[in-house]
Amino acid sequence: MTAELVAEAGAAPEAPARGRQVWRRLRADHMAMAGLVVAIAAIVAAIAAPLLIHLEGQDTTAYHSGLLDSARGGVPLGSFGGVSGRHWLGVEPTTGRDLFARALDGARISFLVAFGTLVVQILLGVGIGLAAGLGGKVADAVLGRLTDLAISFPQLIFAIALLAIVPGTFPRPMLLMLVIGLFGWGGTARLVRGQVLSLKTRDYVAAARLSGASRTRIALREILPGVSAPLVTYAALLLPSNMISEAGLSFLGVGVRPPASSWGQMLSTATTWFQADPTYVLVPGLLLLVNVLAFTVLADGLRTALDPKARSLRGGRR
Amino acid sequence: MMRRTSVLLTSAAVLAAAAACSSSGSSSTKSSAFDPRTCQGGTLYVLNQTDATAHHLDPARIYTSGGGAVTSMIFRALTTRHRVAGEAGNEVVPDLATDTGKPSDGATTWTYHLKDGLKFEDGTPITSKDVKWGVERAFAPELPGGIPYLRDWLVGGADYTGPYKGKELDSIQTPDDKTIVFKLRKPEGDFPYVATATQFAPVPKAKDDGTGYEKHPVASGPYKVQSHEQDKSLVLVRNPYWSRAVDDQRLACPDRVEGTYGLNPAVINQRLSSSAGKDANAITTDTNLSPAELVRINSDAGLKKRAVRGAFGQTIYLAFNTKVKPFDDARVRQAISYAVNRQAVVNAVGGSSLAKPATTFLPDQAAFGYQPYDYFPAGATGNAAKARELLAQAGHAGGLTITLAHRNNDGEQDGPAIATAVQAALKQAGITVNLKAYDEAGYADAIEKPATEPGMFVTSWGADWPTGGPFLAPIFDGRQILKEGGNFNASQLNDPKINAEFDDINKIADPAQARPRWGALDAEIGRQALTVPLFHPIYIRLMGKNVKNAYVEEWRGMYDPAMLSVR
Repeated sequence: MTAELVAEAGAAPEAPARGRQVWRRLRADHMAMAGLVVAIAAIVAAIAAPLLIHLEGQDTTAYHSGLLDSARGGVPLGSFGGVSGRHWLGVEPTTGRDLFARALDGARISFLVAFGTLVVQILLGVGIGLAAGLGGKVADAVLGRLTDLAISFPQLIFAIALLAIVPGTFPRPMLLMLVIGLFGWGGTARLVRGQVLSLKTRDYVAAARLSGASRTRIALREILPGVSAPLVTYAALLLPSNMISEAGLSFLGVGVRPPASSWGQMLSTATTWFQADPTYVLVPGLLLLVNVLAFTVLADGLRTALDPKARSLRGGRR
Repeated sequence: MMRRTSVLLTSAAVLAAAAACSSSGSSSTKSSAFDPRTCQGGTLYVLNQTDATAHHLDPARIYTSGGGAVTSMIFRALTTRHRVAGEAGNEVVPDLATDTGKPSDGATTWTYHLKDGLKFEDGTPITSKDVKWGVERAFAPELPGGIPYLRDWLVGGADYTGPYKGKELDSIQTPDDKTIVFKLRKPEGDFPYVATATQFAPVPKAKDDGTGYEKHPVASGPYKVQSHEQDKSLVLVRNPYWSRAVDDQRLACPDRVEGTYGLNPAVINQRLSSSAGKDANAITTDTNLSPAELVRINSDAGLKKRAVRGAFGQTIYLAFNTKVKPFDDARVRQAISYAVNRQAVVNAVGGSSLAKPATTFLPDQAAFGYQPYDYFPAGATGNAAKARELLAQAGHAGGLTITLAHRNNDGEQDGPAIATAVQAALKQAGITVNLKAYDEAGYADAIEKPATEPGMFVTSWGADWPTGGPFLAPIFDGRQILKEGGNFNASQLNDPKINAEFDDINKIADPAQARPRWGALDAEIGRQALTVPLFHPIYIRLMGKNVKNAYVEEWRGMYDPAMLSVR
């Protein structure tokens, strides 16, 4: 889907649509608006996590032995995994830790890593893409192969190996951002390079060059604004993909370290419980699903709003 | 040595658990009653994660307690564990020998006589010289991996290098074909327990080609090896020269035993619970139920009948290195003992069906000499107030920050699940615990060497045989502090009075007399808060729906495949 997007976005470089126009088109797209509402709510909840957990009256690490059926393997007492007025999403089997608190804490990690990774990806991708597009043939060839390498690299295996050998004292969320980001800039670089190649032959760029503007000025003032529209769309799509990457690595046990929580880690411990305590699996599973879906729909809506000629990935609505 | 032991024991314990359906000790699993006279026939399948014969099918290289599960179907030793349900299963009984051994010279000489009519799988009679050869070859450096006691105990054992260069071990004498005498360099009242090991199984010199022997080991038990592919599979068929007339400790009901190794634990339990086709005749000797699987089985009456529980003498505990601050201060160790929340720890490993809270280092089984004590009563969930009080006395009124080391996975019950439960409990007492996870290989290396040993870590101990000696000595005998590695005396306790008590009790050849002394010694050492006992694990294992006469033997807390029937 991202490859298709790169191709389409590269094929139709337009002057950026004006903000108000984009917003009007976006508002008409109900799916995208729903995605936007969910995404904003999730981000606000993640930022306000300590406050919300305090409001519930729980914390992320306290054990509640009294809420578990010790004789039955430590499954939560009560229905739906121990959901109650005091534990809004129930408690974790075998520990009794509050699931609402841990899910929110996990959301914080999830968004922190997803956005942090995005920053790394955009900086690297735009930098390398601009250099490849505006540099000479040699630079383009070298950077192009480098980009190919980054895209074709077996990221997951390398990330697992890297995360396993880095000492435990290094802050994990930061490490996750770097590891996912360092392998995830290839698409951005390719997109930017394509845009640059097509934009730099435009008349207004030629005019700038003739009027004696420096290379840097042309890159930043004339070219970069033209790249920004597809870049925003692409970034919006990278975000959920980063969330999935973080969840995947945490699921495999190389993400955040206990007692910190993350959705992937919760899912990982929950998998064996899917028959005994379905709520435990549903909480991180649904959170991940809803958030990734919301961001993806939003990104798609944004793309069509920025470039009405492109067909929606959701198909047929236009 | 013990690390290996405890690992093996765990897998052994895993091995066995099948039996005692529900709670009633020995009971059959099907409506038709089990009858030992008509139980013969069929094939028993063993579904395991690891090789049930510990990789090398050579009696010299196998390290199990009580003769092992599958291995004891092939090899008989001088003595063996008593194959009955309940506490009597902790007793040692004669196997090839007529009794469990006659001690003399203050338990430094042990004499055995062989039963009549014993034969190898090729029909040749078993003599005391075959037993001597079997013990001697376990000293050969090319056959490593066996029990460590022989080298330490037998006179001249320390520098004996095996019989292949023509040199005999003079401390093993065979005055005639039926008699064998062992001379020890110090009193060892527990010798009959050690004589259950496969190193005491007879090996015919004529068939022994050293490292190649594991490809064609000669059986003395009810089954002989038809094929063995290391870490993959094992096929056993009947040994025609064995009969119940010469062996009262094995029923040997199935005609054939097939082992499949290298399976995933979830797959093993799934196959046993669905019990389809051949799996109806299957057991596992190394796979326990996970907490989530336990919940599922508890809600299914049919499955519950096929889940067998048993305990193996084992304690999971927090170990302190008293050479590392602040654990040199007894008040800090006591404060942690008070603060620990055993209910949370038990829940973390799957609840009260899989673990029993422990306040003593010795397991709560009579065979170990168990004597109850609880010097630092934490109750079910911890006594944070008392812990804070002690910390204040020790000069840590403003709180304390410590590091707890643990393995990075929960496979051996010394991983993050327990560590985070301890962390949460100590937080209540104002102790901030930082967790430090070690990977699989690094953990054993770090904790078993005084120079690298962390101040506080999660670990476990299980003994090689059910008496107090092997449970306490490696952990608390000051002469067993090993600077070069392989050290299990984590606290580095070296108290001459306690060391002398170990020597005194080892002189007692009667287990009934030794037991209260071991219990009293444990209770004495317990005052020093050198460990925080957390829990004794309980093993619950599934079996196929056709398996009968599955009971838990107390010695290892396992199924005994030599007693199972699939008809």
